[in-house]
Amino acid sequence: MPTLHAIEQRDERNAPFYQPSGNEIEMFERAWRNQLPLLIKGPTGCGKTRFIVHMAKRLGLPLYTVACHDDLSAADLVGRHLIGNGETIWSDGPLTRAVREGGICYLDEVVEARKDTTVVLHPLADDRRILPIDRTGEVIFAPPSFMLVVSYNPGYQNLLKSMKPSTRQRFVSLSFDFPDPSIEEQILIGETGIDGMLAKRLVSIALSLRNLKDHDLEEAASTRLLVYAATLIKDGCDPISACRAALIEPLTDDTETSRALFEIIRATFGH
Amino acid sequence: MEEWVGNLWHRIVTKAAVRRYPDAAVRLVDIDRTLSVFFHALGGEAGIKLVAAPAVRHGGQRHWLQRLAGSGQKVELSWCDDEGLRLPATIDIFPEKTLNYDLYLWLTALSAVCANTQKPWIERNQDATLSLLTRFPGLKPRYHVLVHAYLATRLPPESLHADEATQEHAIRKALMRPGSVSMLPDASTPFQPVLLWPHPSPPDHQTSSKTPIMPNQNLHESHHITQSSNQKFLAERTEMPDGKDGFLMMFRAESIFSWSEFIRVNRPQDTEDADDILRTAEDLDSLTIARDSEAGKASVRFDLDLPPTNEDDEIIISGIALPEWDYRQQVMLEAHCHLQEMRPGVDIPHEIPAALRPIASKLRRQFRSITSLRTRLRAQEDGDDIDMDQWLQMEADRVSGTPSVTHGLYRQQHNRHRDMACLLLADLSLSTDTYVSDNARIIDVIRDSLYLFSETLMSIGDRFALCGFSSLKRGNIRFHRLKDFDEPFTSITRGRIAQIRPGYYTRMGAAIRHATTLINRRDNQQKLLLLLTDGKPNDLDQYEGRYGIEDTRSALHEARRMGVKPFCVTIDKEAHDYLPHLFGKDSYIVIRKPEELPMKLIKLYGQLTNR
Repeated sequence: MPTLHAIEQRDERNAPFYQPSGNEIEMFERAWRNQLPLLIKGPTGCGKTRFIVHMAKRLGLPLYTVACHDDLSAADLVGRHLIGNGETIWSDGPLTRAVREGGICYLDEVVEARKDTTVVLHPLADDRRILPIDRTGEVIFAPPSFMLVVSYNPGYQNLLKSMKPSTRQRFVSLSFDFPDPSIEEQILIGETGIDGMLAKRLVSIALSLRNLKDHDLEEAASTRLLVYAATLIKDGCDPISACRAALIEPLTDDTETSRALFEIIRATFGH
Repeated sequence: MEEWVGNLWHRIVTKAAVRRYPDAAVRLVDIDRTLSVFFHALGGEAGIKLVAAPAVRHGGQRHWLQRLAGSGQKVELSWCDDEGLRLPATIDIFPEKTLNYDLYLWLTALSAVCANTQKPWIERNQDATLSLLTRFPGLKPRYHVLVHAYLATRLPPESLHADEATQEHAIRKALMRPGSVSMLPDASTPFQPVLLWPHPSPPDHQTSSKTPIMPNQNLHESHHITQSSNQKFLAERTEMPDGKDGFLMMFRAESIFSWSEFIRVNRPQDTEDADDILRTAEDLDSLTIARDSEAGKASVRFDLDLPPTNEDDEIIISGIALPEWDYRQQVMLEAHCHLQEMRPGVDIPHEIPAALRPIASKLRRQFRSITSLRTRLRAQEDGDDIDMDQWLQMEADRVSGTPSVTHGLYRQQHNRHRDMACLLLADLSLSTDTYVSDNARIIDVIRDSLYLFSETLMSIGDRFALCGFSSLKRGNIRFHRLKDFDEPFTSITRGRIAQIRPGYYTRMGAAIRHATTLINRRDNQQKLLLLLTDGKPNDLDQYEGRYGIEDTRSALHEARRMGVKPFCVTIDKEAHDYLPHLFGKDSYIVIRKPEELPMKLIKLYGQLTNR
């Protein structure tokens, strides 16, 4: 079987915008150089996927992202036979392609996937770094540039679904959280081009809303929502409508909670 | 005639004196959830709930009409105490509804940012105001409108004495320009209460109760008058005079002009008119309450700031005879125990406590996925989808020449049908009255568990029943049926859970036998009996130690024989000594931290029923 090599150049300047909070870029590079798989934990919309895309471009690696859900089985990751022209053809899944090409395979929300996926992940995630495909009888040895990255949201505590210790302990873990206010303001300015004062106000609203996590709101207000609000305002929308559409309505359906959130927006932007 | 004119005069003057606008009133009960979220978002502590504040006497200057009418002496302010954040039950001091609503928002916001420093009250309030206005610049114009409208309702400094006028000037300046006043000058009378700021010295919450709480008889028929407003009264508890050591008063009690303190003297009682009682209560600064064994002829229901007492329960079925196993004689003593099924006499609807609401909605969301668990059966003779793997196998075998057995070539979705009935039996004995953390007793943890368990099972759709038990020797085993299997879980059921109280002892065997009978009437496929307890079986007579354990074991054995699966959840650290003997190695769990009981119970239920 031909092995495709990574042909993209390392391209830092054209990598998508990512504002680091700590030493995550350095840690990712270390893990990659030493062929260690990575587990990224963090709330939704805090920059996990953006970080991976940035690192893939920075290191010049092809990236295969899989959004995991509870019907995702090992066959979806590894590949299956398809029927065409009166014969069966094997078609690689995203995991197999990443392994063959020596790229990054990113499994987003990995706890949602079916349990039989651990059968394929375990041999790849320890020092063997092999992908056995029993349908074709192959065993693929992952090249040094291959990296397995998985992520999940620990706040969305699932009583029924969690990662088994045998899987968890095969990964180096990084914990992501919403950035510090000053960095978050930089992110808003960098993504949308709004002015500093507006960025400050939006971030202060987000801080108040994040106090409500787990008690009144299911999830904390994400950086992504702030970027949406800023984008709308930059386009000419008035701040209160923009915040209502981007910050209140996505976070809650409850009338009394939205009334309270509206009061906070009102108190920040006036009238 | 006199009385009629007197009443008329009182009504006219009171109405003129009260500067209130009932049409524009905003009530706390309508917006407390919004305010609670607002409070948390601004940095207020998460566990705090919003409660109505009782009216407190202020002693400050009043409008002459108010002095004439004798009203306006009390005011509802806001403060923070153990119960939570206190806010006025109603705000109607402004003619516009938006202003009254803004005042609620302002008081909530101020309490969220008010730091507990040692600075003087007037400085603290100005600091908090300034920090709020800096964080939320949008509040500035609204704050100034509020202050302007509020100052119009206060007595102007010109109408006051010199030293009171200086005080009033200082307060006004601090309100209009926060940060400009460093000290509040003294005056002879207390200043008018400032409704825009928290209470300068919040009242303490005192209770004392020396009378043991005994079950009392049913109340005779009496006519009830519920009070008209949502007012709360400050109250304290004491003991009823017991009729001995009489002290004879030589003059009639009506000639006493003021009702200000409760002095425990023995004098014959006159049951009064209900209206008079209500008015008296409004006049008193604090009510002193004692428990009497006699029933009054008229009664008024007050909303009191008292810790709750035992309601008397109504007996539904009495004297169910149950056997008991005597391990010493190795014989079953027939009809040895008598069990009474009980229900609270008065059904008071109750909503889920605010603190549990977010957890309950989280659990509902997570457990919803249990109901939709589908499995795919492969290699079926018929189905929705082609089973590709089977087809491939068959093709490969055919091509390679291996003889193949014809398998089914289809896949079928299979909805797993849950046919489960669960009876949760909670131990409500006296031992649950002990505190396990700063503000929760075991009974509170059990209550929370019952709430959350019910919410979860409601969302799954499994049938369940909730019962509680406690016993006072073998003749009096109280079995509370809080919810039956076919009953819907409503606010009435929650009200029954809210009313459970610790009492008496734990005769486990009889309760388990009765619970087994109840659950056996169901014909569901799986029957689960969950026992929630905090200790060993024990009662006042010989039912303790080995005797109690053996009888309980026998009851559980009978349950298993009838197809009911018992499981025990306990917080007794010594449970490992006796529970394996009773339930089996795999059918119990010990919870080390009692506060974790609710979540662990539900997790356990999920695991038990997913097998």
